[in-house]
Amino acid sequence: MVCGSLLFPGILSQVLADESPARSDDPLAPKRPHYPGKAKRVIFLYMSGGVSHVEAFDPKPKLFSDHGKTITVKGKPQHMKQPNWKSRRYGKSGTAVSDLFPHIGGCIDDICLIRSMVTGHNDHIQATLGLHTGSFTVPRPSIGSWVSYGLGTENRNLPSFMVLAPHLPYSGQNVWSANFLPGIHAGTRVVPGPVPLADLEPDDLTGGSQDLELGLMRFINRRHLAASAQAPALATRIQSFETAFRMQQTAPDVFDLSRESDATLALYGLQRGQNTGFGWQCLVARRLSERGVRFVELIDSGANRNWDSHDNMQDHEPLARNVDQAIAGLLRDLKARGMMDDTLVVWATEFGRTPFVEQLSFRGREHHERGFSCWLAGAGVKPGYVHGATDEHGIDAVDRRVHVHDFHATILHLLGFDHERLTYRHAGRDYRLTDVEGHIVRDLLA
Amino acid sequence: MVPRSRKPACVDSRAAVLVGTDDGPVVVPGKPETSALIAAIRHEGEYPMPSKEPKLADDDIAALAEWVQRGLPWPEDAAPIPVKPSPETVAENHWSLQPLASPAIPAVRDTDWPKTSVDRFILAKLEEHALAPAADADRRALIRRATFDLIGLPPSPEEVEAFVNDRSSQAFAIVVDRLLASPRYGERWGRHWLDLARYSDTAGDSADFPVPDAWRYRNYVIDAFNHDKPYDRFIREQLAGDLLPYDNTTDRAENIIATGFIALARRFGNGGQSGHLAIEDVIDTTSQSLLGLTVACARCHNHKFDPITTKDYYALYGIFDSTVFPFAGAELLPGPRNLVPLDADGKPSAEMIAALADLDRRRRTLGEERWNAQKLDGEEAQQKLAAINTKIEELRDDTEALFTRWPSRGQLAYAVSEGRPKDARVQIRGQPDKLGDQVPRRFLSILGGAPAAPKDRSGRLELAEAILDPKNPLTARVMANRLWQYHFGAGLVRTPSDFGLRGTPPTHPELLDFLATRFVADGWSIKTMHRLLMTSRVYQLSTVQSAEAARLDPANHLFGRFSLQRLDAEAVRDTLLALSGQLDETVPGPHPFPPERNWNFNQHDNFVADYPSRHRSVYLMQQRLRRNPVLAVFDGADTNATMAQRDETTTPLQALFLLNNPFVHEQAEAFGRRIYAAAATDDARIAQAYAWAFGRLPAPEESASCDEFLRVFRDRRGADPTTEDQVWAAFARVLFGSNELIYLN
Repeated sequence: MVCGSLLFPGILSQVLADESPARSDDPLAPKRPHYPGKAKRVIFLYMSGGVSHVEAFDPKPKLFSDHGKTITVKGKPQHMKQPNWKSRRYGKSGTAVSDLFPHIGGCIDDICLIRSMVTGHNDHIQATLGLHTGSFTVPRPSIGSWVSYGLGTENRNLPSFMVLAPHLPYSGQNVWSANFLPGIHAGTRVVPGPVPLADLEPDDLTGGSQDLELGLMRFINRRHLAASAQAPALATRIQSFETAFRMQQTAPDVFDLSRESDATLALYGLQRGQNTGFGWQCLVARRLSERGVRFVELIDSGANRNWDSHDNMQDHEPLARNVDQAIAGLLRDLKARGMMDDTLVVWATEFGRTPFVEQLSFRGREHHERGFSCWLAGAGVKPGYVHGATDEHGIDAVDRRVHVHDFHATILHLLGFDHERLTYRHAGRDYRLTDVEGHIVRDLLA
Repeated sequence: MVPRSRKPACVDSRAAVLVGTDDGPVVVPGKPETSALIAAIRHEGEYPMPSKEPKLADDDIAALAEWVQRGLPWPEDAAPIPVKPSPETVAENHWSLQPLASPAIPAVRDTDWPKTSVDRFILAKLEEHALAPAADADRRALIRRATFDLIGLPPSPEEVEAFVNDRSSQAFAIVVDRLLASPRYGERWGRHWLDLARYSDTAGDSADFPVPDAWRYRNYVIDAFNHDKPYDRFIREQLAGDLLPYDNTTDRAENIIATGFIALARRFGNGGQSGHLAIEDVIDTTSQSLLGLTVACARCHNHKFDPITTKDYYALYGIFDSTVFPFAGAELLPGPRNLVPLDADGKPSAEMIAALADLDRRRRTLGEERWNAQKLDGEEAQQKLAAINTKIEELRDDTEALFTRWPSRGQLAYAVSEGRPKDARVQIRGQPDKLGDQVPRRFLSILGGAPAAPKDRSGRLELAEAILDPKNPLTARVMANRLWQYHFGAGLVRTPSDFGLRGTPPTHPELLDFLATRFVADGWSIKTMHRLLMTSRVYQLSTVQSAEAARLDPANHLFGRFSLQRLDAEAVRDTLLALSGQLDETVPGPHPFPPERNWNFNQHDNFVADYPSRHRSVYLMQQRLRRNPVLAVFDGADTNATMAQRDETTTPLQALFLLNNPFVHEQAEAFGRRIYAAAATDDARIAQAYAWAFGRLPAPEESASCDEFLRVFRDRRGADPTTEDQVWAAFARVLFGSNELIYLN
């Protein structure tokens, strides 16, 4: 690319060739967990706003027969409200799933479903924060940051923790913040659309000369390093420019779906050329996972126009349409590529929705922290299994309740971590994702 | 799988066993079959015990069952089993709670080396470990270090040359004095304080409402540092400025604005509820920043490590619960409230108070009505909703009219005022609806517990006096350590906001006490402390360490060399602006927030804004639910909680930012034009650029490489009218990306 120069003989190829494994003092160097974990990476699917569990993965026939019946909740009269969708049984396991999610229903034999989730707060910000950080009040490091901190990364050409989110969720960037963990473990947000990553594209006018800039910068920085105190930070920073440079080369390739087959695009429900929608997010998630990105989180909506259907449950329909085929496509694609064995797929929402309403004329449902559903699939979990249950109306988780802290403890266990030992010292004490709570839900383990 | 949210059962006395948990006793005397404790050890109940160990032996279980059967016999003279030492014992022994000592200046073997007393403390320790200190830093590195340290900007080439050529013994002291007199100093050191005060221009509630008057507190802090306001007065004003005597209205306004320290508490929820969490934030911020204690740990249970009880927590809680906090507004309760008028003795009139209360009432009712109406179907519902919306518009008009009438928006501070004085009740497990005993307002018991608040006041002034009481050793120690930390990159105590049992003890306890004592004796003058620390030889050491030092003291606990420091987020951005010549050094006022009547922010549509500017970074608008994107890239402050120390991470996103971000390109182009215009030849331009960026001239091999860069770049671009602009902008970006610019030697 460059010739006739002593200082810049093919800088580009030099920089790109430098793919040696990360240094041991590098915070992103691959690290071994406490014990061999079945899962090597995570794809975390987060549905923002609170999916109605009784209209998703916890159908309740009793709600139809008891529609209109009055019950008392917290001293207030409430009325049972029948779901807007019927359900059917799927697969060998015969697990019932709402008609809102026919594609995921078709994958039910690969899913380890938890119908007895409970969480620590009944409002979005706190519950969203709790689901992601284990803290329901002040922001703490995100689960993705903890995993990056614990395992490092296998590909220095990309960040270890990436978040594909069209909009900011409740609590904003706190959802993927490294908080007090070293900032390199923070999630890097990708916005579906024409510009997925900020500052990734060199300026048109200067793009052609960036290798020269990098070359002179490297010369100046290495000369400075030689004359300086032994400081790992200086060397790491030289490396970071090279990683950034490589990211410019490799990241656009991740987002370039043109070489995916028609069959693959169809699996995710994607049109050729489409660069938005959950199908795009799911397919890019697979491509990131393939390239060794440790933790990929997908947020389907954001703090607005999401699953928070207070006004009308029918609002769930377009949201389900956005994710249903895409998620099923992801599961099938991962399975076909043999990636399900060491990839953990997590499907989660911050809380469920009330099976009852204050007035029968209300078309929507309110927030519900006392019982809802989440699920896992892939590495290390029992396929086609249903864990726990809510009562006959879907109000309270009554059988083998799983708190968000338990959910976190189990995910960390699947990655090979004792959640009580994955700690970071901050502000005078050792912090962990599960705070002072959390039990591994052993029934979920394959 | 149930969260352990209940009070754990205590079994160290018979009485404790009978009290049990929040759910009641764990043992029914005479009835083992209905005793939860027995069910637990039999692994029959909801909580199998021990939870992680094997089950107890059958004999042991049978013995305990029999003990319950026999009615819990307990030796009468059995003292409760001591679980941990009493708070008194701990306070007697813990280093940070000991009275301030006036330590003797230690003797050293190499008496030629020390320049000041500070040096003797450091050298004595080094000699004890048989480590030699590093060489002195060269003068260029030193003036660059001092300039970034005190004003957060690079020195000009002229300033560098003047210092390098000034061979008088006072040369460095003169530089320090010049920097301390610069108005840029307060913008740098005020920012350290704003980190501790978790400063933000938004409230942090679910919608992150703007706080348009927060900037007054920010500027107050900057002014306080510039004027070297004595630290004791600084604290008194921030905790109780509204209660202090004043000479004139300017003083009074300043005192009131200072209480922004409390007023800027983080907010939670969407309707101004969860006030208990805002108070927790104040207690957390106050205790960590001023005392180095994590008192907020005692909100739900006695502190796990330090002798701080929930009663201590709620004793402080009562003080802030007797205080009126201003309110920026929130989703369900839009419109600001309780702002404090700054005019002479302006107090709201009775008419005003009634009008505000009426607005509040209407706001609440309409909020609820709208919430419910949105859920209904049909034409009737639509009409109802329309009617509600009309009323909301009227409410907005009335609010605006009221604020226009009195007092004008420009005369209001986001500050606290006195409320109805009352003692708080303990909130069991931190739950505000589960109340326990009432606790009189007072200071922490380990620090004397003294001044009970007077009946007619909140007790904030008394709290400030207790914090500043000469008998409390923490306040001076904590601040002396912070000053050391900001200069040297690490504190003598490496947990600057935790001087409790879980914090790390000081590496140089005598030096810490020497500094703390001097700080108080010198009238709590922070600028005097800067002079004391910076004129020491230890501040002026090179960062280059010997192999011996690298082996014996890799983390530089002994301060035998200067630690390499990365510029913080503000300094990175300010330096780019300074080099490009585009830095606006004027002091801005309020941010251009949208007018209040358009504030329809909610948890779905948060307030989110960026206000591009060329002012120093301390003046950038900073939010709580979303970090300022530029500052976030370089580990800027977290505005959600008090912050004692910035991170220094290195990420590819920082590199991408410097390579490709439009703001950086804009500065690079301007810096490039500046370099081009500075001289007539490439070599002279390169030399000038090096002088601006690094405070030195390039070595011949560097000049040659830069020349070659320019040549190859021009060859590649060919003759094009924009080539020279581009080549110098590219060269500027190279300097922006260099380690020598961003790391201080």
